[in-house]
Amino acid sequence: MSSAKRTLGNRWDWSCPETRKQLEDVFFRDQDYIRSGSEESRDFWNFFERFQRFQSNQRTERREEGKERKAGKGAHPGLADLPKDYDPRYRINVSVLSKDMEMRILGQGQKKAERQKRSHQGSGSERIPGEKVAEFRMAMLHFLDFTQKQGFAKLAKLQRERAGLPIAQYRDKIVQMVRKHRVVVVAGDTGCGKSTQVPQYLLAAGFNCIACTQPRRIACISLAKRVGFESLNQYGSQVGYQIRFESTRSPATKIVFLTEGLLLRQIQQEPELPQYQVLIVDEVHERHLHSDFLLGVLRQLLSLRRDLKVILMSATINIKLFSEYFDRAPVVQVPGRLFPIQVIFQPIPQEEMNLKSEKLDIRPYLRVMQAIDHRYPPEERGDLLIFLSGVAEITAVLEAAQAYATHIKRWIALPLHSTLSVAEQDKIFDMAPPGVRKCIVSTNIAETSVTIDGVRFVLDSGKVKEMSFDPKAKMQRLQEFWISRASAEQRKGRAGRTGPGVCYRLYAESDYDAFAPYPVPEIQRVALDALVLQMKSMNLGDPRTFPFIESPPTSSLETAILYLRDQGALDSAEHITPIGSLLAKLPVDVVIGKMLILGSLFSVVEPILTIAAGLSVQSPFLRRAQNNPDCSTARKPLESEHGDPFTLLNVFNEWVQIKSSRRANSRKWSRRRGLEEQRLYEMANLRRQFKELLKDHGLLEDSVAGPSDSYSRLQARRERRQLYHLKRQHEETKGRKRKVLKLKDEDTVGSSSDEGGTAEASSVGEVNSVDIQDIKFKLRHNVEELQASSGESWDPSGQHITLLKLIVCRGLYPQLALPDEFNSCRKDSDQIFHTKNKAGVVLHPTSVFCSNPELLQVEGIQDDRNRAVKDSRKNVSSHHQLLAFVSLLETNKPYLVNCVRIPALQALLMLSRSLDTNADCSRMVVDGWLEVRIVESETALRLLSTAVQLRAEWEETLSLQLSNKSNVDKEKGRERKKISALAWSLLDYIKCKADYSIHRLAGVEMEKLYIGPQTVPDNSCLPGVFPSTMMMKPDHIKGGYAVTSFLTYNCLTSDMDFYSECLRTFWTCPHCGLYMPFTPIERMSHEASCKPEEAVVDQGTMVPAEQVARSASTLSLQRPYHCDTCEKDFMFTSTEILKHRRQHQGNL
Amino acid sequence: MESSTNAPMKRVFECKLCRLTAPYSYYGQKPPNTHSIVLLEDCYIMKDPFTPTKDKFLILGSQCSLCKTLVCIDPECSLFYSKRFCLPCVNENIKEFPWEIRQDLDKRKAQAKSQHHKGTESKT
Ligand SMILES: [Zn+2]
Ligand SMILES: [Zn+2]
Repeated sequence: MSSAKRTLGNRWDWSCPETRKQLEDVFFRDQDYIRSGSEESRDFWNFFERFQRFQSNQRTERREEGKERKAGKGAHPGLADLPKDYDPRYRINVSVLSKDMEMRILGQGQKKAERQKRSHQGSGSERIPGEKVAEFRMAMLHFLDFTQKQGFAKLAKLQRERAGLPIAQYRDKIVQMVRKHRVVVVAGDTGCGKSTQVPQYLLAAGFNCIACTQPRRIACISLAKRVGFESLNQYGSQVGYQIRFESTRSPATKIVFLTEGLLLRQIQQEPELPQYQVLIVDEVHERHLHSDFLLGVLRQLLSLRRDLKVILMSATINIKLFSEYFDRAPVVQVPGRLFPIQVIFQPIPQEEMNLKSEKLDIRPYLRVMQAIDHRYPPEERGDLLIFLSGVAEITAVLEAAQAYATHIKRWIALPLHSTLSVAEQDKIFDMAPPGVRKCIVSTNIAETSVTIDGVRFVLDSGKVKEMSFDPKAKMQRLQEFWISRASAEQRKGRAGRTGPGVCYRLYAESDYDAFAPYPVPEIQRVALDALVLQMKSMNLGDPRTFPFIESPPTSSLETAILYLRDQGALDSAEHITPIGSLLAKLPVDVVIGKMLILGSLFSVVEPILTIAAGLSVQSPFLRRAQNNPDCSTARKPLESEHGDPFTLLNVFNEWVQIKSSRRANSRKWSRRRGLEEQRLYEMANLRRQFKELLKDHGLLEDSVAGPSDSYSRLQARRERRQLYHLKRQHEETKGRKRKVLKLKDEDTVGSSSDEGGTAEASSVGEVNSVDIQDIKFKLRHNVEELQASSGESWDPSGQHITLLKLIVCRGLYPQLALPDEFNSCRKDSDQIFHTKNKAGVVLHPTSVFCSNPELLQVEGIQDDRNRAVKDSRKNVSSHHQLLAFVSLLETNKPYLVNCVRIPALQALLMLSRSLDTNADCSRMVVDGWLEVRIVESETALRLLSTAVQLRAEWEETLSLQLSNKSNVDKEKGRERKKISALAWSLLDYIKCKADYSIHRLAGVEMEKLYIGPQTVPDNSCLPGVFPSTMMMKPDHIKGGYAVTSFLTYNCLTSDMDFYSECLRTFWTCPHCGLYMPFTPIERMSHEASCKPEEAVVDQGTMVPAEQVARSASTLSLQRPYHCDTCEKDFMFTSTEILKHRRQHQGNL
Repeated sequence: MESSTNAPMKRVFECKLCRLTAPYSYYGQKPPNTHSIVLLEDCYIMKDPFTPTKDKFLILGSQCSLCKTLVCIDPECSLFYSKRFCLPCVNENIKEFPWEIRQDLDKRKAQAKSQHHKGTESKT
């Protein structure tokens, strides 16, 4: 910039960057009130320009005005010294001490000028004239005065608004009531201000340690923000929130917003909840599972904590129910403040309804947008809020709205649902530019929990999607329902918060009248497994008699209890087991919790942690990217042929590698693959939480972490400091101002990070490109350690994956699906599967098996040579596979979500709850629904027998691990050896070969499955035949013998009339070389007792069982036997025992 | 969360005219942590609650130089013209003030409503 430009023909040019720089260097130093380069300095220059313009206007206007002023006679002496001539500067009460600076700038200018002279250069800065410095200084004063007044006006407005809220008039009453009573119900409709004000009133009245629960995480964040702002503590720490993985809580926090689930966990840890004085349970009328349960728990807690105050806050729905539940607690009812709302019923015309398509018809929605455009001039502000039932519907309407918006340029369409990241959700609070309306397309989350200012129009589809649970099929069903009248009113009310509004309803008034009055409480319609488990772990006694505010259906409770017993979380007396109490502490589904425990047993915990975390968060795969060929190609290498959980594992591991390399940008990497990076961050957090829990319970040893040498420690510390610095910087700049949304073409119209392939940065108007998530991630996690554990600790090609699969499947069991036998003749997308309770389910389109169905094809060995049964289907192979799945979700079709494939027979023998066999074990019925026919009974016996042993070992090791007995290192070493030997045996087992067919039993076949008790020969007890762990009892329902808890021998009906004697075949024991005729059972028991178990253990670490030296004849076949009839002790082989017993029977 | 009950008593500023209350952290002419700034009257000051930066302050109000009433800096309550005056005092002595100020007050009175409305709109 040359001096010529600056003075621009004798005119001074303030906009010259160098002049500005020079002034900033002097006036806006680091210690000054305004800092160079800060947002405020930018604000200043903007102000400066306006100020200059204003001044030049004023000068011309004011020039000739007379301003005579006569001093009044009785004037106050204090007025005598008022300046005679008016100058705006007298109206400013701030001054800047700047003499020193001005000297500097003048001096600096001189020096520079001299330097220039010397170097004969034309460019460079010149000295700023003194009057210009004064002008700048004056502008600065005006700016300071302006910002002060602006700040004060904001404060005053805030106070006015608070005072104007309907609840403000009840402030004293509420405080009084809370002082006087232990439980108070505050009922108020939308807009009365209860959620933001009540905590503040109580704090101001001297209550401390106030917890306020919310049903949803997002509400915790936004309320903490709002209350922090209102209480003028926005940047302090008095008000905080706490949600899973995220907390802004500090010792100074006095009000904390947290989720109901989190408060329940805190009660679990500290039953008396000493950390709080006041508990506010907000939105109790929503009747969430956790909130209903929390009320029950609090009712009991009140008897323990005499000093505790409980406040229930509710919309004015069903208030009596809550008041009476708490012993007729007093109610403070606050009227809502709603402006009049015009309701327009606009049911979808019949002829459009007839178009029966699965996709949502977007026309009615566009019609309303058009109607608004026609009826209301764009200067009249007011946004539109659309209520839809689910994410798919939101996507459809959003796309249409965005297309319309691009065309008409008067709308910005934004999605809102709970699966968006917080940053994306935040966008709805940004402002639209003048003349443009926001169109927020939301689930029922905007009904009560998220409040958006400025909504004038509401468009209500009248629908809601709710997850319901079918206890029979053990299936979750996401179904669409009509909303209740209460919900419809809530939705309508959203239009009248800031002024009169309009509510369009896409249903008829008669529909409205037919709606249910209230929504069905969640406790009535969901699976109660987790609830019951939590109750058990909190020692709340029998869930059947727990005084719920409204009891759940008995059948749901029974199903849950049965399920938990089935999963080993409760014992037969319904007491919580060690596994159960551990599971209760893991904030995940029981099946995933089981995986974690099993994973920690074998040393494959790192990948299991990742898989468990991956299955507990929402899928990181963006649906929209599914159709993007670039994304699919980029994703391809991450797909695992073993199943979806392993794809998740690959994704996470790869992501961690990217994270730890300095050059790569994980945000970009994720976007290119159509991944929602937020979910990966959540996985990392959850994974860490799991790890800590496992460590807390002694299931995982502390690893010695951290860089070893002092240099790298120093380096690490430096890096952390840097990260903290970046984080602070980010926090200081973010949230200063509400951003104004940009109205650009397609990519910004409601842009979110869901953009799929586009490489453009997603955040609209974000100035700094700091990836705050990345910084938080690096601060929270030891990336090096993560990288190490994701890279080397397991090899995907090797044995580990088989073990992992077995663990995952044991966790998921009995969630299994059998491929339909005719799948090979079907199109890829039409592959059908059957579960125990549901035939004909399909793969979720995101599954790896959906795109690669050949992975599930059976390489059919159509073998005819051994067809003992008259089964016409040639379905024999040694390669049958099953799918274990994480969930069964029914939307428009029943879908299997997150599948793993596993060899069928081996998995069933290892994992099944019930195995019923025929006499030679060639036919088995698994869990009452799968029939397996093994071609060679010899093989069948061998497999069954090994399974029985391995399972016993596995159980034993597991319970040992859980009981955590061994503290001695030596013992631990031995245990470890044993565990690793077990792992190898399991791996060998999975590799076993056998030809068999498998099919799902039809209803008719199930009817005559079992012999029943009466036809069994009365060999009621065969002591000694089985090792002591195996109790051989006749099964009184199925017939045959119950050999173990899961195995019932010889209870299946059969065409052939087998007698046990006839089944004796000659067999050589591979261990002791004994050669003699055995029945299957005798053989099994012999094997169980003869197996050189100790040898395996001693062989120790990594030797496959096959290679174990076989020490024949070291173990005797004979066992001590006490006969009750002749009251003598013998040393008998199993056969001898049988003979002996038969003698007695003959005598009778 | 600490349950300390003996938290330091908050000093609260209250405007005697409009009853606005806010906690203040400093009273005087030299707000803490500001090097070059001096106030021309003794003010009640709080840390600016709307910025995360620690050294930003917000002036709440001061004493009327004539009647010594505590007033906030809201233009409805007071004005500054080389000293602080509460509006009642200004009105009482309106003739002593320069024409510009009189005009300002008249304007304010006339447009009180619409201006007020606009002001809040644009400031959120
Ligand atoms: Zn005031
Ligand atoms: Zn006065």
